[in-house]
Amino acid sequence: MNLPEWLKVSVPALTPERGVKEPGFIKKNLEEIASLMRWMMDTEESAGRRGLLQTFDPRARILGILFLVVATAVTGNTIGFVSIMIIILLLSYLSSVGITDMVGRVLPSFVFTGVMVLPALLSIVTPGTHILTIMIGTKEIGITYEGLRTAGTLLVRVTMMVSLVALLLLTTRQADLFTGLRGLPVPAFLVTALFMAFRYIFILLRMAEDVNLARRSRTIDHGLLRDTQGWFASRIAFFVERSMKMAEDISMAMCSRGFTGEIKGMDMDGMKRRDYLWLGGTSFVFFIILGLY
Amino acid sequence: MTREIYRLEGVSYSYGRYPALRDVDLVVEEGESIAILGANGSGKSTLLKLLDGLIFPTEGTLLAFGRPVTEENLSGGFLAEFRKRIGFVFHEPDVQLFCPTVFDELSFGPLQLDLPVEEVKKRVSDLMGMLGLHSLRDRPPYTLSSGEKKKVALASVLTVNPDVLLMDEPTNGLDPRTQVWLFELIEALRGFNKTFIIATHDLSLVEDLTDRVVLLDEAHRVVADGDTVDILRDKDLLLRTNIIHEHPHRHGDVVHIHSHGPYAGHDEHE
Ligand SMILES: Nc1ncnc2c1ncn2[C@@H]1O[C@H](COP(=O)(O)OP(=O)(O)O)[C@@H](O)[C@H]1O
Ligand SMILES: [Mg+2]
Repeated sequence: MNLPEWLKVSVPALTPERGVKEPGFIKKNLEEIASLMRWMMDTEESAGRRGLLQTFDPRARILGILFLVVATAVTGNTIGFVSIMIIILLLSYLSSVGITDMVGRVLPSFVFTGVMVLPALLSIVTPGTHILTIMIGTKEIGITYEGLRTAGTLLVRVTMMVSLVALLLLTTRQADLFTGLRGLPVPAFLVTALFMAFRYIFILLRMAEDVNLARRSRTIDHGLLRDTQGWFASRIAFFVERSMKMAEDISMAMCSRGFTGEIKGMDMDGMKRRDYLWLGGTSFVFFIILGLY
Repeated sequence: MTREIYRLEGVSYSYGRYPALRDVDLVVEEGESIAILGANGSGKSTLLKLLDGLIFPTEGTLLAFGRPVTEENLSGGFLAEFRKRIGFVFHEPDVQLFCPTVFDELSFGPLQLDLPVEEVKKRVSDLMGMLGLHSLRDRPPYTLSSGEKKKVALASVLTVNPDVLLMDEPTNGLDPRTQVWLFELIEALRGFNKTFIIATHDLSLVEDLTDRVVLLDEAHRVVADGDTVDILRDKDLLLRTNIIHEHPHRHGDVVHIHSHGPYAGHDEHE
């Protein structure tokens, strides 16, 4: 083989750094989003810890958390909120779920909901007693006590519901989540669909990271935005193509092993006394809250 | 008399406008060990997918166990029988492994085929013991190393105990130790009248584990079908079909020409 001359030359020494620019924002964001999402989905470690929730049968865990979520959805008074909040804190403490684990998963929804409820603060949306008044031109716009209350309640409610779901996911291995769902009266196709979605997202995220690394290792000039955008578009096309191909291959692999439209699993062992106690406890909270309401 | 497993007559397959396999005639009998040899893109994987009833010939007929395999035919009782008897180890374990844990992965096949739960548990446990997978039982397969993934992929097919094993480039990307392990496993299984059809371009695998070679060329046709020994000896044929290529090597001051397969054979010179 005749190598061209330039290929035979090796760079003698590292060129002095000239203030390397940060990689383009899209590249960087893609990578960060991908690894953030992977981190959020990766709960194997916390689910493997020893803790209260982890000891319950997955079916009981899902059902119990569901009771608490519904209770949070219907409660309308401070006592209800405070008691569920205490339950959440207690459960995460007893299940060795750390503050960072929880906050990391709950914060995005907190910020999002926070922005969404902002308009409710204003007197034009929620009329009532002004606690703060701003003059815009000749118009008087105020933040009302009622608005603050409505927005605050909604924010707290959503955040608590998300915390409960995060608690469930953080204490449940992916496998148990799906066997648990299968053991409950949830339509089988729904469980299968959910499972496949999880699976794809995970592979795609890993692919996104790999592709980014591969590109980065080849790039010297962290250059022009236009280039980055073109690259971005071609990546998207590549992902769509790859994921279609992957979907086809995975479905073939499933068919090859006898899958005919519904995943058949093993029946699970019966629930134990502690599972019933937990379900009794959570449904008790649920009914009390309903009564207060 | 040996049973006939497959009979292909004039089988062609195209992906839309792109032909992937042309006019293939092939008879496979029980207990044979066949290598489907061909360069990249010659249609090996396509042939295996046809044999596993995942895609269907666009032309020609395919019989399995004496029965036509068509989209309409492959359902109900025949489908269950077919799936029980034929196992397919895919090229990429990442695609093949879709269950949440290794245990689920191994029990998936037999459960779909309605084997009794106790039997499934026993098979899974036996195989995990045999392949040393017990410690990985509750791990999600995508977190395993590539050698471990390959083992799990194989085990997940073996739990069904198929008579016919289709394997797509099984040695690709394996470290030498796992490769030896795989060879030993295939060799052991061959003693029990299993039929192997292995797509590969790894000549050491072909030489060690198969007694018949079906050679595909880059026009997607079968150009040779015969004894492994005879075909591996026919250097011109292998060169022509791009299975081996020649290039000079330097050993000290001596430069001479070697034949090489794309994967096999390189190690000894490095
Ligand atoms: N899903 C597909 N869509 C379109 N063309 C395909 C697809 N899969 C394979 N091919 C084409 O069919 C031919 C045979 O492919 P394949 O059976 O994968 O070959 P091999 O396994 O020998 O490398 C190739 O030309 C390939 O590009
Ligand atoms: Mg292939």
